[in-house]
Amino acid sequence: MKTSKYKLLSIPYTVWIMLLVFIPMIALVVLGFTDMTSNISFSNVHFTFENFDMFGERSITTAFSNSLTYAALTTLISFVIGYLLAYIIYQSKFNNKFAIMTIMILPMWSNLILRIDALANIMNENNILVELIGFSPLGGLIGTPTGILIGMVFTYVPFMILPIYTALEKIDPSLNQASSDLGLTPLKTFLYVTFPLSFKGVVTGAIMVFLPTFSGFAIPKILSKGNMVFLGNIIETKFNYTIFNDGALLSASMLLIIFLAILLIRKFDKEGETLL
Amino acid sequence: MTNQYEKAKVSDYGYKDYSFLKPILKVFSVLFAITMIIFLYLPIIVIAIQSVNSSKNTSIFDSFTFEWYLNIFSEPDLLNAISNTFLVSAIATTIATVLGTIFAIGIYNLPKKARSRIMFLNNVPILNADIVTGFSLMIMFRFLMIIFPEIFGLTTLVLAHLFFTLPYVILSVIPKLKELDPNLIDAAQDLGIKPMKAIHLVIVPAVKAGIFSGMILALTMSIDDFVISFFTTGAGYDNLSIWIYGVLGRRNLTPSVYAFSTLLTLFTLISLITVQILQRKRKGKKK
Repeated sequence: MKTSKYKLLSIPYTVWIMLLVFIPMIALVVLGFTDMTSNISFSNVHFTFENFDMFGERSITTAFSNSLTYAALTTLISFVIGYLLAYIIYQSKFNNKFAIMTIMILPMWSNLILRIDALANIMNENNILVELIGFSPLGGLIGTPTGILIGMVFTYVPFMILPIYTALEKIDPSLNQASSDLGLTPLKTFLYVTFPLSFKGVVTGAIMVFLPTFSGFAIPKILSKGNMVFLGNIIETKFNYTIFNDGALLSASMLLIIFLAILLIRKFDKEGETLL
Repeated sequence: MTNQYEKAKVSDYGYKDYSFLKPILKVFSVLFAITMIIFLYLPIIVIAIQSVNSSKNTSIFDSFTFEWYLNIFSEPDLLNAISNTFLVSAIATTIATVLGTIFAIGIYNLPKKARSRIMFLNNVPILNADIVTGFSLMIMFRFLMIIFPEIFGLTTLVLAHLFFTLPYVILSVIPKLKELDPNLIDAAQDLGIKPMKAIHLVIVPAVKAGIFSGMILALTMSIDDFVISFFTTGAGYDNLSIWIYGVLGRRNLTPSVYAFSTLLTLFTLISLITVQILQRKRKGKKK
């Protein structure tokens, strides 16, 4: 299907994506070094390093470490749960892929904020589940680190299950047979054959979980009742008070970490096969 | 001559029998899967319970009622947020599906190096943190505001949604293009069809499964978006997520929201099941 005329169709997209990827990134960096303040205009702009002072503030360093710690923990827990679930589905005789996808994706179709609020409700001491069924698995967890982690894990674990399952499905079953013919135990087959072959699904899943938990602000705000501050919450506050220079600088620093993640995904999954 | 040696067993070669572990593992995995699925559905179940709870208090179940379902239409703020959500998603998804397909054909026909560069850029909106995308788009739109002062609101929301849905359409159309028979276009041209006409007469029908899944993905991403919309909308133009987030702070969420959410979940579930049944029937007929 190589028709050279069709090539031209990619030009508008190249322009569009350059315009909305590169220019904003440059704008973020420029804003980080200037004192343009709330009204974005070019009059009276000065170059300054003053915005960097906020990295010395305790609230910012705490937010950075909170975001990193919770994102790392959520990714790790989601990996364990997600891998087990994906592997169980893969091993089961249940071969209706569509039904599995539906079960995992359906919760994601209802509004995220509403779901988190519902979780917050049943994390209260007295909640509707206690009244209806006598106990609540999450009662009393509101505002605790465990509560926030549970909220994050169960919001983002489908993003871990799907790519791992896709990677597992692509493994040639004859490889597993070959490995047991060669005398490997099921455990060794898993460790030396199955797991390495599904690893790029794990990397994709890890990034899909890490990034939203690292940058999110709604889950910690609702589930910690505002007692715990994450990087996303600070950016939200700066945005609400139109302190765009600080917001831009923080977004740019977040971009650095995201860039590392994108490089990592390129290393393990060159064609982005498991991204969907 | 009789065999004086005992017959060798597989265990003599180092084979250990682990089959006794199988039932234990099976019970464990079934229990684990069920627990996890219950946890995944817990918020949905709670939302459904609240939608039929006559008490506005989220920690007390008073009595069963359908009142909130009828009230959806008498809540102007909620209706407004819902219609904004659907309007933005419908416009963005339609444009993203059409343009995404055209762009995918263009990208697919690029030389390999240029193609992989563009695909790298295409991944940026997918992998970038929502908050960074939201913030940087907001800055771009602020610059545009100097020329178009009324831009914030529907226009910026649609543009922002296009920005993050287009990559998904492109990502799902390209694999289908790869499967396409390269001779198809040549044949079409031999039969006298012009290249641009061949797109909708030959290519689009051949890759429609990819276009459809791209469209569904785009719609899914767009309809539930909170963070990017939060940063790029104008004052007073709320979608459902932004509106709920705002109301939560004031602690007076109307239970009609739960009713609407439950209806949407049921609608999704029913349409997915219908698609599944239809597909099965079609497969059955082919056999």
